[in-house]
Amino acid sequence: MHEVSIALGMVDELFRIAKDNHAKKITLVKLKIGKMSGIVTDSLKFAFDAVKLEHHLLSGAEILIEEVPLVYECNDCHASFNAEDIYFPACSECGSRNLKLVSGEEQNIESVEVET
Amino acid sequence: MCDVCGCHDHSHNHGHETRTVDVNQSLLKANEDAAVSNRKHFDELGILAINLISSPGSGKTTLLEKTIEALKDEISIGVLEGDIETDLDAERIRAKGVPAVQLTTGGACHLDSSQIHRGFHSLKHQLNGKKLDVLFIENVGNLVCPSFFDLGEHIRVVLISVPEGHDKPVKYPKAIRTSQLLIISKSDLVQHFDFNLDKIKKDALSLNPSLNIIVTSAKTGEGMEEWIKFLTNLKKNRKN
Repeated sequence: MHEVSIALGMVDELFRIAKDNHAKKITLVKLKIGKMSGIVTDSLKFAFDAVKLEHHLLSGAEILIEEVPLVYECNDCHASFNAEDIYFPACSECGSRNLKLVSGEEQNIESVEVET
Repeated sequence: MCDVCGCHDHSHNHGHETRTVDVNQSLLKANEDAAVSNRKHFDELGILAINLISSPGSGKTTLLEKTIEALKDEISIGVLEGDIETDLDAERIRAKGVPAVQLTTGGACHLDSSQIHRGFHSLKHQLNGKKLDVLFIENVGNLVCPSFFDLGEHIRVVLISVPEGHDKPVKYPKAIRTSQLLIISKSDLVQHFDFNLDKIKKDALSLNPSLNIIVTSAKTGEGMEEWIKFLTNLKKNRKN
């Protein structure tokens, strides 16, 4: 359940962002979470919704999560494809396992909406 | 939700301005920043830092005890011990004549880089100015969460013991993908379990083709020489 630690780190980061932007409240936090980031988005949302109530700055903040699909590019034939099989993907065109991960490991804060 | 009037409409305002700030940074930025600063600090002091992760009971502390027995006359070793409670493991390490600091997380299932920063400064007090060659960080026993937190280590070593089963790499891919060495421990028990050594190696290498793998037994001594050689080579290569 590392999602609680991640939510607590996010709270610290949001305070910093609020200070830099002279914000009185944060109303919306947009996240990008990759399918292979290992973060359970429901757990992260649950943890954030619990900890935000302790802070006036964040008590009304909604969290919006965009899940990023797992995309690989083949190093042999250069095809790019979405992978359903997370652990042992093979190229959908040539079957090669010599692949480069293009997206799916994201764990980012994209943007926040602030009230000033 | 708007906490002034309880509505779900963000388009109206209550006399204050709303605007969007682009952030585009990692959720784990605070931990990552502290990890970078730890690694820089270790580099300046010429210390090789190694993060050991595994499930509880895979043999991390035993591996450390055996490593200290083999190397303590040649290199100076320090240990940061992570656990939820107790300083039992730090006591085991100190009994081998090596300085150790226990980091108790009080419930958290992993160490983070700010704990390592504080722990390393406590360790320095115990050293009394003596130079350290290798710092081992024994993470909290857990194959999931520690793999998310860079501590500022140079090398991450993951242990999987034979009784845990050969399916662990595919069940815990992040631990495998973020490590440079897999130690398959308690190999003396292979005959008592349905453990497929070829399968675990193949699966682990599919997840991480550059992974090193060493099969060890602290009981019979299998693989210990290879592990010690791996360590001394790492240390030597960093000096060059």
